[in-house]
Amino acid sequence: MAIVNLQNVTYRYPLTDESVLKNINLQVDEGEFLAVIGPNGSGKSTLCYTLAGFVPHFFKGEISGSVEVAGLESSASTLDEWVMNVGLAFQNPFNQISGAKFTVFEEIAFGLENIGVPREEMKPRVEDAMKLTGITDLADRSPYSLSGGQQQRVALTSILVMQPKVLVLDEPTSQLDPIGTREVFGVIRTLAEKGMTVILAEHKVEWIANFADRVIALHEGQIILDGLPGEVLTSDILLEKGFGISRYTSVARKARAIGLWKNSNLPVTLDEAVDGFKR
Amino acid sequence: MSIISENAVYFIIAVAIIVILLVWSYVTGRMRKDFSTTTWVLIPVAIAINIAIGQIVVTLKLPVFLDSIGTVLVAVVAGPWAGALTGTLSNIIWGATIDPNAFPWFPVAFFIGLVSGLMANAGWFKNWWKVAVTGFVVALASAIVSTPIAVYLYGGITASGSSFITAYLLQTGQGVVQAVLSTGFLVEPVDKITTAMLAFAIIQGLSKRFVARLPRPENAEVEGGASQTQLFIAIGVVILLVLFAAFMLGNILGG
Amino acid sequence: MQERLSFYKKRESAVHRLNPLSKLTLALGIVFVSFLSPYYWTPHLLILFAVIPLSLLGKVLREYINAMLRLILPTAGFLFIMQALFQPLEGVELFRFGFLHPTQESVLFAFANATRIVVMVSSFTIFLLTTHPNELMTDLTRRGLPGQFAYVIISTLQIIPQMQAKAQTIIAAQRSRGLDTESTFFKRAGSLIPLVGPLVFGSLVEVEERAIAIEARGFTSTRVKTSLNSIPDTNKDKLIRWSLIVIIIVTLASRIWLS
Repeated sequence: MAIVNLQNVTYRYPLTDESVLKNINLQVDEGEFLAVIGPNGSGKSTLCYTLAGFVPHFFKGEISGSVEVAGLESSASTLDEWVMNVGLAFQNPFNQISGAKFTVFEEIAFGLENIGVPREEMKPRVEDAMKLTGITDLADRSPYSLSGGQQQRVALTSILVMQPKVLVLDEPTSQLDPIGTREVFGVIRTLAEKGMTVILAEHKVEWIANFADRVIALHEGQIILDGLPGEVLTSDILLEKGFGISRYTSVARKARAIGLWKNSNLPVTLDEAVDGFKR
Repeated sequence: MSIISENAVYFIIAVAIIVILLVWSYVTGRMRKDFSTTTWVLIPVAIAINIAIGQIVVTLKLPVFLDSIGTVLVAVVAGPWAGALTGTLSNIIWGATIDPNAFPWFPVAFFIGLVSGLMANAGWFKNWWKVAVTGFVVALASAIVSTPIAVYLYGGITASGSSFITAYLLQTGQGVVQAVLSTGFLVEPVDKITTAMLAFAIIQGLSKRFVARLPRPENAEVEGGASQTQLFIAIGVVILLVLFAAFMLGNILGG
Repeated sequence: MQERLSFYKKRESAVHRLNPLSKLTLALGIVFVSFLSPYYWTPHLLILFAVIPLSLLGKVLREYINAMLRLILPTAGFLFIMQALFQPLEGVELFRFGFLHPTQESVLFAFANATRIVVMVSSFTIFLLTTHPNELMTDLTRRGLPGQFAYVIISTLQIIPQMQAKAQTIIAAQRSRGLDTESTFFKRAGSLIPLVGPLVFGSLVEVEERAIAIEARGFTSTRVKTSLNSIPDTNKDKLIRWSLIVIIIVTLASRIWLS
């Protein structure tokens, strides 16, 4: 069953002339893990904001077409209702710390306080969410004293604790070091395994290949590819349009040109590349 | 006693005007629009700007305070009430974290925000010379509001350096209210006009798209005219205002 | 870097255990009484019988004395000297030095005034030393203060140290590029823009993202907010608050009828 349904969505920010999203049609099933790839300025973030309700409710501007997520229809609902159903985390971990709380535990409870969850229910929910993301030991620390990767996991936990039906992640690791990236992807893997509906905008294609059920490629506000990770991430079109691609794909493509790569499919990850060369 | 009750009347009138303004902006729904989430996030940043710049100015040993740039900034882009709140909380937080002596002056900060917001709403924040006038009006408000606080709480002579001027005026036989008010009129304009101009410069430096998503982008629109000419007019206006202040001062001291 | 800015000292004490609103009422009550009381010695007695015992009871005497020496006494001392010398009050002249001729009245006036300032700043200081900002805001929010106020206060307390650290970094960086922060007035004034610019713009561009982040967590939700921590409010607290209100009213009345 589709939990996300976008029909002919076109959107333009205020004070701009060009549409950032053009005629987007997208269905995502419940429990599906969808990755969105695209160069800078392709509309990835805007798509994420649209799915999370911030376009048009926060950013204003002109939108046409219909946006339906988790049973809500964009034009007929408020941002308030939207955030109860769709969670959003984004790039800069530092800016996602609310600032309203002195400890990680309180920080995670902030959203629950805002939506009026009773106190007895709050504590176990925060504890469960922290266990899920593996940050239980950070509970009493100040959110500002943490590393980027830890802060991003706190940000994710703060969203997860609100029990969204759909989770939208806009390049959550783009400002993290390799250790932080691994920590955050560890959490994302857990969520995917638990059957959460996740939409992840990301350019680290090797990670995408590991978890995504499906990948769409966004270019100048349009979806140009939509399919399985193995197909989309190795497509020649990505190369033409200036997408970032996996170095293993590049190597195998060169190897294929001189006859060293015999498989029909190109690899995305190291393991696939090693397997392919072994044969 | 009769002087006190006369002042109490002024006080009650001032409070009544504020309450009417407050109710009016609440009823018209303007208030809710002004206090968007972005405004609530902007206010702490503005308070921190007030305090950080206030401290840089101390480092540079400049003879001004410049501790309300953030307040004026919020007042312009998010309306007088957001500005007033920023000012008030700035003083309360300054008092609660750095120096408890700052507490009693919060009404001054309240009015700096309120008056600069009202001026901006009236279109007096759209070019250099209008901003200078706004700064001057804010200075007058600030001098007037700080007078009763200085007189009733501190007996006229406060802990700030400008008290030497007050002390001198007291020695020349001026009444305490006149002495404090004149000191304020002498000291405030330079500070508040600079503050307003810096806030204007900051708003001009922000991206149009960012300003457009704030509650009152129309207050920050710049009027046409070459900026060089504007600056000269601004300087001229400042000189005129200073002369006007000197004239008023002469009247207060004479009378 | 300090992570947050506050005077608060964590202790186990009777004062710490009081409800934050009771402590706030207490602090304001002391200030009101010291300013409104018609009796000359009230502020002095308040220091001896309210401020100092409270700081002892709250186990913050040392911090209080520290703040007293650093913040309160210099201000009050300056006030006392200025007012004693310059208040032109008629009365018994104590001495004459040039144009200065302080009278007994002006010295007494200055002494009372300076003491009142000491009482005011002291009572706020003890309140701040014994009250965690988070507890105060949680309690006030529970009593109906809009949640946004708690957000503003607490996040300001956390932003200021970050901003100060950033300001120090920028000052150091600009100095190493030869920026003048020491010499003539005009050079120092000219230094202001390169220092203020990066600081201000850097923090303003973050505003939008931070607004999105808290919106995503229901900041503008119209539901009735709840809170994680419960703040105790005992009958003793209520008694303290009501007696303080009575004391303030009595003082006000005595001010009106006795002066």
